[in-house]
Amino acid sequence: MSETTVEGSFQEGAAPPRMSLRQQAARWSGLLILLGALLAAYVLHNAPGFGTNASLSLLLGVVLGIVFQRGRFCFFCIFRDFIQFRNSAGLFAVLTALAVGSVGYALIFGAFLPNTFTGRLPPDAHIGPVSWVLVAAGVAFGIGMSLSGACISGHLYRLGEGYSRAPFALFGSLVGFGLGFFTWQSVYLGTISSAQVVWLPATLGYGGALALQLAVLTGVGVYLLRFLPPLPAREGSSVTLKAIWDRVILQRWNPLITGGLVGIIGTVAYLRIEPLGVTSQLSSMTRTAMDSAGLLADRLNGLDGFTGCAAVIAQTITDNGWLIGGLVVGSFAVVLLANKFQLSRLTLGGGISAALGGVLMGWGAMLALGCTVGTLLSGISAFALSGWVFGIAVFIGVWLGIRFKLNRW
Amino acid sequence: MKLRLVSLLLISLFSMFALVGASAQEQTEGVLVSADWLEANLDNPQVRVIEVSVNPGLFERGHIAGAVNFVWHTDFVDTVQRDIVSSERFQELIQAAGINDDTTVVLYGDSNNWFAAWGAWIFNLYGFEDVRLLDGGRVKWEADGRPLTTDVAVFEPGNAIVAAPNDDLRALKDEVLSIVEGVTPGTLVDIRGPAEYNGEIFAPEGVQELAVRAGHIPGAINVPWGQNVSEDGTFKSVEELRDLYAGLGIDGSTPIVTYCRIGERAALTWFVLNQLLGYDVALYDGSWTEWGNAVGVPVENPAGTVWGGV
Repeated sequence: MSETTVEGSFQEGAAPPRMSLRQQAARWSGLLILLGALLAAYVLHNAPGFGTNASLSLLLGVVLGIVFQRGRFCFFCIFRDFIQFRNSAGLFAVLTALAVGSVGYALIFGAFLPNTFTGRLPPDAHIGPVSWVLVAAGVAFGIGMSLSGACISGHLYRLGEGYSRAPFALFGSLVGFGLGFFTWQSVYLGTISSAQVVWLPATLGYGGALALQLAVLTGVGVYLLRFLPPLPAREGSSVTLKAIWDRVILQRWNPLITGGLVGIIGTVAYLRIEPLGVTSQLSSMTRTAMDSAGLLADRLNGLDGFTGCAAVIAQTITDNGWLIGGLVVGSFAVVLLANKFQLSRLTLGGGISAALGGVLMGWGAMLALGCTVGTLLSGISAFALSGWVFGIAVFIGVWLGIRFKLNRW
Repeated sequence: MKLRLVSLLLISLFSMFALVGASAQEQTEGVLVSADWLEANLDNPQVRVIEVSVNPGLFERGHIAGAVNFVWHTDFVDTVQRDIVSSERFQELIQAAGINDDTTVVLYGDSNNWFAAWGAWIFNLYGFEDVRLLDGGRVKWEADGRPLTTDVAVFEPGNAIVAAPNDDLRALKDEVLSIVEGVTPGTLVDIRGPAEYNGEIFAPEGVQELAVRAGHIPGAINVPWGQNVSEDGTFKSVEELRDLYAGLGIDGSTPIVTYCRIGERAALTWFVLNQLLGYDVALYDGSWTEWGNAVGVPVENPAGTVWGGV
């Protein structure tokens, strides 16, 4: 490795160093993977049983993977930066995503359900029941994030970076979904069936709900300003192809840009296919496997009556499956382009705590009908009280996890 | 350098594709309209298009321009007692959809127009005279590559008045029983799949609504709904349909009653036999979920499947 060029070691004006063979191979592979994904999307669009929704889901997934990776849109990392290091920079990405998503959803809702006072809910938006089950699910999910090192979407995109704990955490989540189904059966009749499904526009209208959410997000943002580290001074520089490449591929994106893009992708996904979420395919795999093994009752009481990242029995790859597949691939490709792929070191303890954290996250995501993406992001964007409650509970869970140093396991 | 340029281009291409999204006769006698006719009449103020789809979110993400959404399980039924929508509630919906007494109502939907046909039955039942189906429904419209929109159409309140329900189009359980017992003449048409008809299964996998007895109403003739349509989802020609049913002894010489599992799909066969062939047909909307759960009515169960196992 000693003869490979170290980035930034050359002088301004000097001839750029030649790329090593390994760097070149990585970049070409990244490029080929992106091309392969485009081709796959093209094939999917008229493949029997799939079609344009599967194709578009794959493309959105790839873009989301690129944005998550380049913007480090990892809820755990963002929460930990704030809780442990008093750095709020990443939280601004979340606030921006929620603000942009809310505006986008309000625009779409206006067409999907012009009258908010009819007692109906907009089609398949993630608006869930609010009860202590949701709070417990959120806290468990947050603790699971600390234990495993990322949330579920975080593990998916970090899989593309070579994060060795990710497969363990994702496998653990499959087990967690299964446990969640059993818990669901026992708490549905007592609690969830009578829980309120609170949708802010049903009382405030779209204008009122949007104004309220933007005010809350602004208030939180103003409070967080004091935890924002000073930005590095940036000299004026000419826009060259290399400068663009460095900004897009090598340097971390500005949180506001990342958040804005996540909000836009969430809006587009809802407009064209379904709200963003990353757990529906995973929990469906668990449900289908348990169903064919005869471990699960044919019917999960009330589950089919709620919208969210709910598990279905499916023998095929759903649109959501293409989305999360694209997410991993997009992240992997852009990491290769930057030549930053690195398998992280894995200890036995690390693998076990990742799997345990995954179990907690799967359990929480099943009961909350989604994770930090499906319930927090898509829920708050859809003006669902369940999104806010889940988000706060997850934050508390992460705080507990860090307070008890679970993230060091 | 070249590699960089291509990679950046590719990434922007992804974003663009993902944001934009990749994709890609004349009026039939009275009750059916072709997609061509409808597309040419979208701006015709006399025509009101109504979508009735099974899948939620389909209408909202794109519908035929100017179409109004009617939800089959809340707009066409009473949500508390098992019955069709009340005339008062239907009157409100009609008014909001801007339907006048001289409006041509054109219905379409997903899944082979199943629920659009159910909608057409409700409209007919409540006395609307010019009610038509878009031949091939939503599936054919999309397959033709015709445009959809997410625009919301807003109409001046319509002046059409909902009539008292026409009971001739609807069969209740006792009327069906009277046919089975031979008291009144009639032919029963069961449009479910052969496995349900023969009592091998109670219902297709995954459905919620069940009956605790398997089989069919004694004397019913099994003509699965799919036999009414061609591969592209359009109805077979009137001649083909007449021959198909005549071959099974259904020629309109006696009143006909169609039924299915929950009562909606059978509206497609009602539409074929009544609206296209002009026979005297009633829809038994109680269907198998009522009959197979009713106490004391006769059942034919060739397969002999027993509820709960033997």
